[in-house]
Amino acid sequence: MEEKKTPLKKPLPKSKKHAQKGPNQRMRQRSAILIILILVVGFGAALLRLALLTLVQGSQLQERAVDQQLADVTLTAKRGTIYDSNGTVLAESASVWQVVMAPVNFKNDEQREAAARGLSEILQLDYNNVLEKTKSKSFYSVVKRKIEVEQRDAVLELINKLSDEYKCDGVITLLDDYKRYYPHNELASCVIGFAGADEQGLEGVEFQYDKYLAGTPGRIVTAQNARGTDMPFSYEQNIASKDGNNIYLTIDENIQSICEKYMAQGVVDNNVLNKGVCIAMDVKTGAVKAMVVSPGYDLNDPYTLSAEEQQRIAALPENQQEKEQGLALSAMWRNKAVADTYMPGSVFKMCTASMALEEGKVNDNSTFVCGGVMVVNDRPLHCHALGGHGNQTFVQAICNSCNPAFIQIGQLVGMQKFRDYYKGFGFADKSGIDLPGESDDMFWSEGEMTDVDLAVASFGQNFGITPIQMITACAAVANGGYVLQPYVVSKVTDSKGNVVKSVERKVKRQVISNATSNKMNEILGYNTETAGATAGYVAGYKVAGKTGTSEKIGVTEKQSVFEEDYIASFCGYAPADDPQIAMLVFFDTPSGGAYYGSQVSSPVFINIMTEVLPYLQIKTNYSEDDLKYLDTSAGDYTGLSVADATAKAEQDGFTCTVKGEGEKVVMQLPAVSSKVSAGGNIVLFTDDASKAETVTVPDFTGYTALEANNVAGQYELNVSFKGAISAGGTCVEQSVKEGEKVAPGTVITLTYSAASGSGFND
Amino acid sequence: MAPNKKMLLRGDVNRIYDEDYRRRQKAKKEKLFVRPTRQRKLKNAKWFSIGMGIDLPFCLIIFILLTVGTIMMFSASYAFAYYTVGDSYFYLKRQLIFIGLGVAAMIVMSFLNYNKLHKVAPFVLGFAYFCLLLVLILPSGEGGVKRWIPLGMFNVQPSEIAKFAIILFFSHWASKYYNKMHLAKYSVLPGVIVFGSVAGLLILEPHYSGIVIIGVLTVIMLYIGGMKTRYLAIGAIALFGVILLLAITGGLSYAMSRMDGWGQALTASRDSELWDSTWQTRNSLYAIGSGGLWGLGLGQSRQKFLYLPEPQNDFIFAIVVEEMGLIGAAIILLIFALLVWRGITLSLRAKDKFGKLLGIGLTSQIGVQVVLNILVITDWLPNTGISLPFFSYGGSSLIMLLAQMGIVLSVSRTANIEKQ
Repeated sequence: MEEKKTPLKKPLPKSKKHAQKGPNQRMRQRSAILIILILVVGFGAALLRLALLTLVQGSQLQERAVDQQLADVTLTAKRGTIYDSNGTVLAESASVWQVVMAPVNFKNDEQREAAARGLSEILQLDYNNVLEKTKSKSFYSVVKRKIEVEQRDAVLELINKLSDEYKCDGVITLLDDYKRYYPHNELASCVIGFAGADEQGLEGVEFQYDKYLAGTPGRIVTAQNARGTDMPFSYEQNIASKDGNNIYLTIDENIQSICEKYMAQGVVDNNVLNKGVCIAMDVKTGAVKAMVVSPGYDLNDPYTLSAEEQQRIAALPENQQEKEQGLALSAMWRNKAVADTYMPGSVFKMCTASMALEEGKVNDNSTFVCGGVMVVNDRPLHCHALGGHGNQTFVQAICNSCNPAFIQIGQLVGMQKFRDYYKGFGFADKSGIDLPGESDDMFWSEGEMTDVDLAVASFGQNFGITPIQMITACAAVANGGYVLQPYVVSKVTDSKGNVVKSVERKVKRQVISNATSNKMNEILGYNTETAGATAGYVAGYKVAGKTGTSEKIGVTEKQSVFEEDYIASFCGYAPADDPQIAMLVFFDTPSGGAYYGSQVSSPVFINIMTEVLPYLQIKTNYSEDDLKYLDTSAGDYTGLSVADATAKAEQDGFTCTVKGEGEKVVMQLPAVSSKVSAGGNIVLFTDDASKAETVTVPDFTGYTALEANNVAGQYELNVSFKGAISAGGTCVEQSVKEGEKVAPGTVITLTYSAASGSGFND
Repeated sequence: MAPNKKMLLRGDVNRIYDEDYRRRQKAKKEKLFVRPTRQRKLKNAKWFSIGMGIDLPFCLIIFILLTVGTIMMFSASYAFAYYTVGDSYFYLKRQLIFIGLGVAAMIVMSFLNYNKLHKVAPFVLGFAYFCLLLVLILPSGEGGVKRWIPLGMFNVQPSEIAKFAIILFFSHWASKYYNKMHLAKYSVLPGVIVFGSVAGLLILEPHYSGIVIIGVLTVIMLYIGGMKTRYLAIGAIALFGVILLLAITGGLSYAMSRMDGWGQALTASRDSELWDSTWQTRNSLYAIGSGGLWGLGLGQSRQKFLYLPEPQNDFIFAIVVEEMGLIGAAIILLIFALLVWRGITLSLRAKDKFGKLLGIGLTSQIGVQVVLNILVITDWLPNTGISLPFFSYGGSSLIMLLAQMGIVLSVSRTANIEKQ
């Protein structure tokens, strides 16, 4: 065939004239050109193009093809639950659904309109928007996320209706989804944080432990045709989703709510402008039992600002509103307990005192003179007691919270040692707590610290530490000198309950000896005992603590009504002889009636401790005075003769009032086993007539415990005390209203609260 | 008629001029000069032979392509048929019927003396015009285009008839006025008149790919027929001018809308208009790319599952590449190339110019369509709807195609070509 191509027949003479018959040269030539054009140029180009696509771009094209052929359905993993230390749920994910549409499967406008109408009605969406979505050619278009059960049922109905009436199938599908719920709303908002719309942790533990909580989303990979139905040949691979791990916090919901209650009240009472912080820590382990930033925010609605903030922003020019909104939100979410520094003030004196004791620079016999002012390097530094404290022992200096004395103590310790201990107490490094956004301290760097700086640092001024660092240091002072690793998550378990990670007590170092620590407990306990309410005295418990009032130095714009802005704080622990729980309470910029720590923070501390210590079942250790107000159970005196009953009641420590003329006791008030304060009045009724007798309840509010007891005696009533009845505490609530008529002997429960104390002791 | 020298040497002079002898000689001659119409009646008419029968290699290539094409058409269509009609064999069954009809037509045509077509050539052209006009007055089909005349079981595309009519007419014209073809009056003028009128009617349908193919075929016929190369160059410039003019006046609305996504199939963003308009081309590219060197294997295409719309039609070769890979595609292209080669070379050996031109024209039509089809599915040309001969599903076009191959085979009967 090849040879055939070459003309065997003689070519015609070279004349331009065309031959009369047979395939002539020209036609052969032109046919050859035609063959070359079609086969070489045409087929060559086609083959070249195919080779380019298959060999050069092949893998890329195949990838894209596989992408569209494999339907990849993500199975959402259930986010782990967050529990408190008792197993109370603080955050959990509940099943909701998302509505997804495959608009490409609509066959006509009638179907589109029906679907859009139905969906917009059920889901409260704009009809036109939904209609617009139905017109696209896509296979996957999310209509609405996180719908609840009722809406889901309505959508299911709609799907059936579309199928029956419009022959429209495979258009709307419901996919599983989850929504995060926080059953306690604001509770522990600064610790828990919240998760976003895609269940991603954004703040707090939700953020810090996101990789544990999130779980692994599963996938179903199926080969699908363009309609989204499965292909005849099967290719399906299921990767099950793995639910997120559960997290157990060290936070105790009960303690947390007690703290939040009183912190919120403290913020309101003292018109605190920059939030209040309260941290309760287990002294022995470093576990955070409660962490409060007050006011908090509703975790179920974290994007809504408080009403005042909203008003303030609405008043701003429009171009600033969005920016301001963002700033306000991040300020609201900010965990002041770890992310902000503050000047600890006199609270820090417990550290200064510890280091001086540890170094042996001071002892019980050391004396310090305070003349109201002390000059260091020509800088006069004042004491809060303008007249000075005169000559005082070491312990007195602490109790007086005397600044000049502590300047001297600081000088005794010396700059280098002071810095070493500062570091030793853990102030120089981040505490390492498992919460996001922890801030560094602000302290003088090596070599920059002057004697004046040392002097002011000795009483906690002019440097910044975070509240979590302060409470950790306080715990170290209390627990024998061990600086612990603070933490909020005690363990992580998988969905089946197996422990994935568990956090143990971790000692970073021992900064002071046990002996020093014991001495400090003794001194701080003594401080509380002698100063009473102003220093956190809690009835029935030996509490150690130190107040603090720090000036906010370097504040550009004064906010409060006082001459300067202050931070009122109290840091203490209980019981002093065997410390269990330490607590730091501080209010940033109070702008109400008082700003001293002893006036603002101490009562809050007392109120919290009064409820928390019994909850922790810490053994009581009542003083003589306190015993008077302690409840005892009334015995059974009915059926006895009047004389026997009276004798028995008096033997039990009650006084008796006999009513009626009968010989035997037919009824008693308070009833058997009911709680009455020691020395209460048992009313014994001897006949039916006497039972009808009534007394009018007086107003107890404002009375101290002693006064209330006396008043109750006059009215033949009994009282039972609840709350902080320690010196200075007053009645704020009574269980039976004033003016009501009750039978004599009825027990009226009085709720006490430590009021803003009268005196102060910084 | 020269006397038989052997007989002369034998001295058998009488026998030389014997009446019987003359008759035998005449019959022999007639047999040699092959008149298929008459030959049909002959008992010894051969299917395949030297000098007398059809060209075996060409015939073999046709059947190879038909077989491979049908298998691939079935493979490409069954998913689409399953989802749209509910019967996976829908297209295969119908295609087999068309092949039966087409092969019958091919056999009939192969026995037809193609010289008879000389006389009918103008009438066929007239019939093509009639069909082109008829389709315009019939109700329009999907998308407002009028391309098909419905004939019960299958639809006839007038443009298919027009392609054949043009080849036939110019074969007739160029062989008739062969020695005058160098004159513009006999080459350019009829070319412009016939092509212009047909193209005008096709624009009304509209069917732009038909215009392209008919234009190319007209040029090929005139060029092979003897038109001066100079005119070809002038024609090319004129064509460019016309396109420019149409572009300015916006007469290319439909084609332009189809060209919208030309070359942008892979870059179009989702949810854009372009995404939808380039859907078919993009999925064709995905299919080709997925094939790689060796392909996914016969029947293993994924893209035919509704991703590539109507995979049994114009875009069938994309599925072929996906399943058979570049190697398979190259082999198929090689078979097509052999067909074109054999068709043109055998045509050149034909006894007369009409046969040569007819054979070359009909064969090159296949080559041109294959090249244009592959360039379309690979996005080097805009998506204009050019089917792949022997592979694409289609009733009228397949029957027409096989009938045309029958004509080439008929030409091959006269061809002085060594037949194996």
